[in-house]
Amino acid sequence: MDYDLGTDAVELRKRLRALISTHIPEGFLGACTDDPRDLATTESFCKMLASDGLLALAWPKEHGGGGGSVWQQTVLREEMWAHHEPRGAQYMGVNWVGPALMRYGTAEQKARHLSAIAGGEVIWCQGFSEPEAGTDLASLRTRAIPDGDGWRITGQKVWTSYARMASWCVLAACTDPNAPKPQRLSLFLVPMDRPGITVRPIRSMLGPHHLNEVFLDGVEVFSDEVLGEVGDGWRVMREALAFERVGIARYARCESLLDRMQAELGDDWDRLPEAIRTRWVRALIDLRVARLLAYRAVSLQDDRSAGAAASAARIATTTCDQQVAELLFDVLGPSALDSGPSAALHGAVEDHWRYAQAATVASGTIEVQRMLVARETLGDHA
Amino acid sequence: MKTALPEDIADFAAIATKRLVRLGGPQAALRAETDDQLRQDARTALSDLGAFDLDVRSSSEDLLAAAVLCQAAGATALPYPLVEELLAVDGARLALVNPEAPRVDHGDLAGNWIAADLDGTRYQVQPSSRTSAKLGPFLVPATLSQPDGTVPAVDVDLHLTLGSWRIVGAVQQCLEITRQHVVARKQFGKPLAEFQAVRFTIADASVAARGLYELAKYTISRVESSPAQIRSADALILRLKAADTARQVLRTAHQLLGALGFCDESDISVLDRHTQSLIRLPVSAEVLAMRLLPGVRGGQLETLFSGPVSRG
Repeated sequence: MDYDLGTDAVELRKRLRALISTHIPEGFLGACTDDPRDLATTESFCKMLASDGLLALAWPKEHGGGGGSVWQQTVLREEMWAHHEPRGAQYMGVNWVGPALMRYGTAEQKARHLSAIAGGEVIWCQGFSEPEAGTDLASLRTRAIPDGDGWRITGQKVWTSYARMASWCVLAACTDPNAPKPQRLSLFLVPMDRPGITVRPIRSMLGPHHLNEVFLDGVEVFSDEVLGEVGDGWRVMREALAFERVGIARYARCESLLDRMQAELGDDWDRLPEAIRTRWVRALIDLRVARLLAYRAVSLQDDRSAGAAASAARIATTTCDQQVAELLFDVLGPSALDSGPSAALHGAVEDHWRYAQAATVASGTIEVQRMLVARETLGDHA
Repeated sequence: MKTALPEDIADFAAIATKRLVRLGGPQAALRAETDDQLRQDARTALSDLGAFDLDVRSSSEDLLAAAVLCQAAGATALPYPLVEELLAVDGARLALVNPEAPRVDHGDLAGNWIAADLDGTRYQVQPSSRTSAKLGPFLVPATLSQPDGTVPAVDVDLHLTLGSWRIVGAVQQCLEITRQHVVARKQFGKPLAEFQAVRFTIADASVAARGLYELAKYTISRVESSPAQIRSADALILRLKAADTARQVLRTAHQLLGALGFCDESDISVLDRHTQSLIRLPVSAEVLAMRLLPGVRGGQLETLFSGPVSRG
């Protein structure tokens, strides 16, 4: 039993920190801001990572990836999230669109998309959630009606992150409403500039670019744009999302924020109320536990218990995210609500609190994760 | 990285659990409250398992074996001061005490005792007699001498850590008993396990227990390699998390077992009463948290950005 990430992963962490400190400006809070320079920062950073084989680190080298170990991938996840995801909106393409293409894509689809994703040249969005189908994706209503060699898609997507930035979308639509639920859906790889697609941003507490509506009005799609088989979209979607099973390394940003806040407070840390300081201790312990649960889930890999282990890690990590958000706000007291570069940690605390509200909702709600843990513990009741 | 127990240790854990279950589990612990023979039988079982040949101070393999043995002892509420004897000093069992209110678990057993507080200050100890308390029924109030030297810090750390492994075992067993209960018990025409509120409560307890187990494995795996201050912080961290988790899981168990869980014929009642001494002593979870405060700024509470983890 050992918890050594390995020399290659440790070296990678050092390398990533050096790259970030050189190329990412102080106060950077991610691509999703009102300042277009932040998006530009992520675009140039991605291209640099790509040229070093680090953007698609987990991918096999034949597809333009870095062939990295699972622990290198873990370190990459941690460092990117800790530093406000300087890969920006590339996250989705690299983490699950690419791997799904490798498994289900045709030779033409792979040739067209994989090198572009690995090169950091393209942003993808995910057209899954709908106004009446969020967690219950198999019930979505967007229809693909056969038309000539392909289909015409009509419907509405919602909460679509990066839709205004993206040039491509993995779009889920119902191709056969009369089929059993698991066989109703198909996935399409659709360029976002295709006629009939309208994106409307949704103002939200998360900030710009996070949430959008996408309206589909008779959007033409072709048979060579189907990912996997027609009617197999639900299975492909579920398997593809399992590539991201362990989820975002939220604990890493929490540890970073606590570390930076402690440095900023200096000796004032000792003057914080004792109740806050003991909460700080418990937060650090809970973050350690969340990190260890994530490592456990990673180490199980293809073991049949890996799914529940990943759900346990997600529950621990997302609740830590909110715990740390509240702790930091309580530390700041009256200045907690201040935002922007003059606020604490260049606005990172206020940004974290807002974004943490979505931690237990995004990418599989905490209720779904609890259902998965309970299923392993109790069996298939209910 | 290898996050699973080595195969030989997992095998030993299975054997140890089987042997201690054969002894009678929590119901034997219940009988031990009034029949001292059971505590002798517990010692015999531990001796059969080679417990007292383990060198926890200098062999990391023996320490790991001791940890899983403590886990099995926790799961069965073994009525014996196993940690205290594993860490005996010159044949005297080592009790970890709070000098403000010294109590020694099983302090009435024959044999010599020595005591230390969390700072490593050593005391000669004079146990009195049992008080037949419901919570911590084997606790014996004791009188301490004036400070009498020190014990090595590592002894205190190992005491806290191995005691935490006992708590791990108790937590896991309580969760398992609760699982069995909600699957079998029917209300309103269906098993409790079919009610979503129950499923979510079990899921939360399961995540807490899993997290504690991962922390316990991590902590024990680096006892030998960590600098002293990090090792001491690790031990406090584990004990604090163990106490918090035990309180959560025991609360869940009681809530879901209902009145049955308060009865001594239920193992939950026995595990709860007998584990309280580890949860509350030598100091409360809040005091453990306060002892960790200097470690936040001092870097002993390592994060990805402060310690060896960031270095590798």
